[in-house]
Amino acid sequence: MPAYFATSMYAFMGAPLLVILVLTLAGRKLAEKWALTVGYIVGIIQMLTSIIAIILLWQYNKASITFSQFWSIQANDGAAYFSADVFSLIALFCIGMVTFAAFYTAKTMIGKKAFQFTNLMMVMILGMNGLALVTDLFSLYVFLEITGVSSYVLISINRDNKGLEGGFKYLIMSAIASAFILVSLALIFINTGSLRYEDISAISSSWMELSNPILILVAFVFLICGFSIKSGLVPFHGWLPDAYQSAPAPVSIMLGGIVTKMVGVYAIIRIVSNLLVESDTVVNTCFMVLALMSIIYGAVAAAGQKDFKRLLGYSSISQIGYIILGVSTGNILGYIGAIFHFFNHATFKTTLFVNSAAVEQQTGLSDITKMGGLHKQMPITGTSNIIAFLSAVGIPPLAGFWSKLFIIIAVWQTNGAIIASIALVASIFTAVYFLRIQKNIFFGPVNEKFADIKEAVKGFKLTEIALSVITIGCGLLFPVLLLLLQAQGIV
Amino acid sequence: MVGPGILLVCIFVPIVGAIIVPFLGKINTGLRNISALVFVLISFISAACALPAALNGTPLVSSLELPLGFSFSYYGDALAVFMAMTSSLVAAIIVFYSFGYIEKYPNQNEYYSMVLLFIGSMMGLVFSTNLIFIYTYWEISAICCWRLIGFYRKEDTVIKANKAYLITVGGAIFMLAGFIGIYIQTGTFDLLALQGQGLDSWIVILILFGILSKSATLPFHSWLPDAGVAPSPVTSLLHAAVLVKIGVYVYARLFLVNFHLDVVWSTAIPIIAAISAIVAAGAAIVENDIKRIIAYSTISQLSFIFLGLSSGTMIGVAGGLLYILMHSLAKGGLFLCAGIIEHSTHTKDIRQMSGLAKRLPVTCVAFAMCAFSVMGIPPFGGFFSKYMVIDGSLLSGQPWITAVFIIGAVMTVIYLLRVFCKVFFGELSHPDIKEGTWEMVTSVAILGIMSLLAGIFINIPSQLTTFIVESLGRW
Repeated sequence: MPAYFATSMYAFMGAPLLVILVLTLAGRKLAEKWALTVGYIVGIIQMLTSIIAIILLWQYNKASITFSQFWSIQANDGAAYFSADVFSLIALFCIGMVTFAAFYTAKTMIGKKAFQFTNLMMVMILGMNGLALVTDLFSLYVFLEITGVSSYVLISINRDNKGLEGGFKYLIMSAIASAFILVSLALIFINTGSLRYEDISAISSSWMELSNPILILVAFVFLICGFSIKSGLVPFHGWLPDAYQSAPAPVSIMLGGIVTKMVGVYAIIRIVSNLLVESDTVVNTCFMVLALMSIIYGAVAAAGQKDFKRLLGYSSISQIGYIILGVSTGNILGYIGAIFHFFNHATFKTTLFVNSAAVEQQTGLSDITKMGGLHKQMPITGTSNIIAFLSAVGIPPLAGFWSKLFIIIAVWQTNGAIIASIALVASIFTAVYFLRIQKNIFFGPVNEKFADIKEAVKGFKLTEIALSVITIGCGLLFPVLLLLLQAQGIV
Repeated sequence: MVGPGILLVCIFVPIVGAIIVPFLGKINTGLRNISALVFVLISFISAACALPAALNGTPLVSSLELPLGFSFSYYGDALAVFMAMTSSLVAAIIVFYSFGYIEKYPNQNEYYSMVLLFIGSMMGLVFSTNLIFIYTYWEISAICCWRLIGFYRKEDTVIKANKAYLITVGGAIFMLAGFIGIYIQTGTFDLLALQGQGLDSWIVILILFGILSKSATLPFHSWLPDAGVAPSPVTSLLHAAVLVKIGVYVYARLFLVNFHLDVVWSTAIPIIAAISAIVAAGAAIVENDIKRIIAYSTISQLSFIFLGLSSGTMIGVAGGLLYILMHSLAKGGLFLCAGIIEHSTHTKDIRQMSGLAKRLPVTCVAFAMCAFSVMGIPPFGGFFSKYMVIDGSLLSGQPWITAVFIIGAVMTVIYLLRVFCKVFFGELSHPDIKEGTWEMVTSVAILGIMSLLAGIFINIPSQLTTFIVESLGRW
C-alpha cells in the first residue's frame, strides 16, 4: 500500500483545524465572506477522500488502515492511535455529505454569523471525524465531548429564547450522559487496565469470571444509558425533538443528519461490535428492547406532531431504533443492514431537513397544518420530499428498503418472527405520518395565502436533487452492492 | 426469433418513458400524448413478441445471479405473457381515451408520467420471478395509484388517495412478512428455486392479506369505491388494466404456478370470495353514484376470478384466467363510458340522469355491450368465462358456494340493468349535452366491440388459457 495513502488520512483531522486557523488569521471581513464556501469545500474534499480510501482499501485487500496522529503506533501499551476501516470511511463520507448540505444551504439562513458558524462547525466536524477514527474508549469520550460542546453553542447561535432552551436541554442531558459514560469507563478500566477496543473485546466474553463481575455489569448498564441518551433512544429521548426544533436550519440539518448518529449510534455500533463477541447477551437484549420502544414510540409520536422539524425529530428516534435493532442482532447481516441504514438515514433525513428549511424560508412557517398545495410552486422540494419519505418508510426500490429488509431478516433469524414482524408493521406508522405531512404541505388544495410563493433558492434545490439522486441510485444499484459484498467475501 | 431482451424492453420502455414524458410535455403537449401512447404500444408489441416462445414451451428468460438468495430473473411464460398483453392492450386504449378526457386539467405531465410508470410496474411484476422484485413493483404501483387517485388535489380526494395507499401498503407489508417467512425457511427469494414447495398456513394468510387488499376483496375492499374520486381513465386503469389485477395475478403466480396450497384453502378462499361477491353486489344495488356502482361491481366480479382460480379444477382455473381478460375489456369500457357521462353531465348521481341515449348514442351502445359482457349474456365474452368458473366450482364439489355465486351473477344483471335503464332511457334530463371527444368515443367503441368479438371468437383466448393451465401439469 502506498505511503501517501496513510498520510492522506491525516486530512480528516487536519482539514478542519487548518480551516479554523486560516479563517481566524485572515481577518474578520475576509473570513465572513469566504467562510461558508470554504465550509462546503471541506465537505466535498471529505466525501472524495473517503470514497477514494474505500476503493484503495478494497484494491489492496486490507481490512483497515492504521495511523497515529502524534506518536508511533509501536509505542507502549495503551497508546492511542487511529484506524480507518470501511465502516469508519462510510461514516466519514456521511459526515462530508451532511457538512456539504449544511454549508450549501447556510448561505441564506445564517447571515452575519458566518464566521462563528463556520468555526464552530469545523470543531464539530473535527469531533465527529475523530469519533469515526479512534480505537479506544477514552479518545472516543474526548471526541464525544468536542462534538457535544460545539453543538450546544451552535443550537443557540441565534441567542433567541427557543435556541437557548433547546441548547440548554441538550447540554444538561449530554452532561448526564457524559457522567454515565465516564463512570462506566472508569469501572471497565479498573478491571482491564486498558480501554483499547481489542483489549476490551478480550475480556468481554469472560467477564463473569473476573474478580468483580458486578462492577462490569454496572459499567455495561451505565454505558447503555449514556449512549442511549446521546442517540435519543426511548425513554432517553426527551431532549431530541426540542433540540432539533429550536436549532437554526443548517444546524438542525447537521444534528438530524449526522451528529446524533455519530455520537450515539456510531459509538454504540463500535462498542457493541467490540464488546460483545457472542450474540444474545444481556447488552444485546437491552438494546433490542430500547430499539423496539424507539421504533414504535417515535413513529406514533411523529404522527401527532404539527411542527415539521419536530416531526422529523420523532421520525429520527424511530429510524435510529431500526439501526440499533440491526446492531442488537449481533449477526453479520444485521451489521450490514445497520451500517447501510446509517448511511441511508443520513441521506434521507438530511434531505428532509433541507426541505423543512426550504419550506420555512419560503412560507415563514413551520406549522404543517397551516400550509397546503405547495407542490405546484415548489415541485423539486415536493418531489424530493416524497423520495426521502418513501425511503424512510422502506418502499422499494429506494435505498431505505434494502437496509430495512436486511435488518428485519437478521432480526427474524436471531430473535424470531414476532419481533421482526413488530418492526416491520411499525413501518405502516411511518407511512401514516409521511402521508399526513405530504398532504398538509405539498399535495392538498392550493392555499390562497401562498399563491405567490416560489421554488426554494438554488442552494437548496441542488442539495435536494443531489441527495435524492443518491437515495434512488443506491436503491437501484443494490444488486451491484450485493455483488461487491460477495466479492469481498462478507456474505 | 426474439431474444430475452424483449422482456426488458417491455418493462423498461414505459418506466423510462415515465421519466421522459414530463420533459416532452414542456416542449409540446401533443408530442407528449403521442409518445405516451407509443411507449405503451411498444410494451404491448414486445409482450406479443414473447408469446411464440412461451407457447413453444421455451419461455424467454433473462436472469442475474446474486448472493443470499436474491437472484432474480424476468421470465416470460404463457401466464405472464397473457397477463402482460391483456394489461398493456387495455392500458393503451385508456391512454388514448385520456387525450380527450384529461386535456383541460392541470398537472397533465405528472398524469402521463404516473400512468406510464404504473404500466411499467405492472409489466415488471408479471415477469419477475423473485419475491422481493414482485414486492418492489407492487409498491411502485401503489405510489402511482396514490398520486393518480389524488389527481384533483382536493381535500377529500387526497384523503381518499391516502386511504387507498395505506390499505394497499399495509396489506403489502404483511405480505412482505410472509415473503421473509419463506426466505427464513428456504434461504431464497427466487421463485424458480422454490418451484413446487409447500407453504405453512400462516405464510399463506400473510400473503393473502396483501393479495386481498390489492384486489379489493372483502374485508379490505373499502378503498376501491372511494378511489372513484379519481379521473375516469384512472379508475378504469385501476379496475381494468392494472391495479386490482395485480392481486389476482400474484395469486395465480404464487399459489397456482409455484407453491402447493393445502386442500383447506380451496374451501376457505371460495368462502371469502362468496361473501365478497354477495356483499359487494348488494352494495351496488343500493348505490346511486355511477362510479361507485361499477366499483362495487368490480369487487363482486373479482370474487368470481378468485373462485375460478381456487377451484382446483382445470376448467375453473382456465375460466378464471379467461375472466381476467373479459373483465378487463368490459370493465375498462364501463368506466370509460361512465367517464363520458360524467364529463358531459357533470354529475355522477344516476337519479339526476335519464334519457341520455338520445344525446350519447355511441356511449349508450358501448355501455350496453360492456354491461352485457359483465352480466354474462351470450355471445359476449363474459358469458364463457362466467360459465367456466361456475362449472369449475361445481366440479370441485361445492354446490352451496356455487349457488351463492349464481345469486351474485343474478344481482349483477339487476344492478347493471338498473344503471343502464336509469341513465339511458326515459325522459331526457340534460338536453344540451354532447357526445365526448372523438378519442373518447372511439375508445369505448373499441372496448365494446372487443368484448363482443372476444365472445364470438372465444376459441382463441380460451386456447391460450387452456394451454396455460395444461402447462401447469397438475391436471
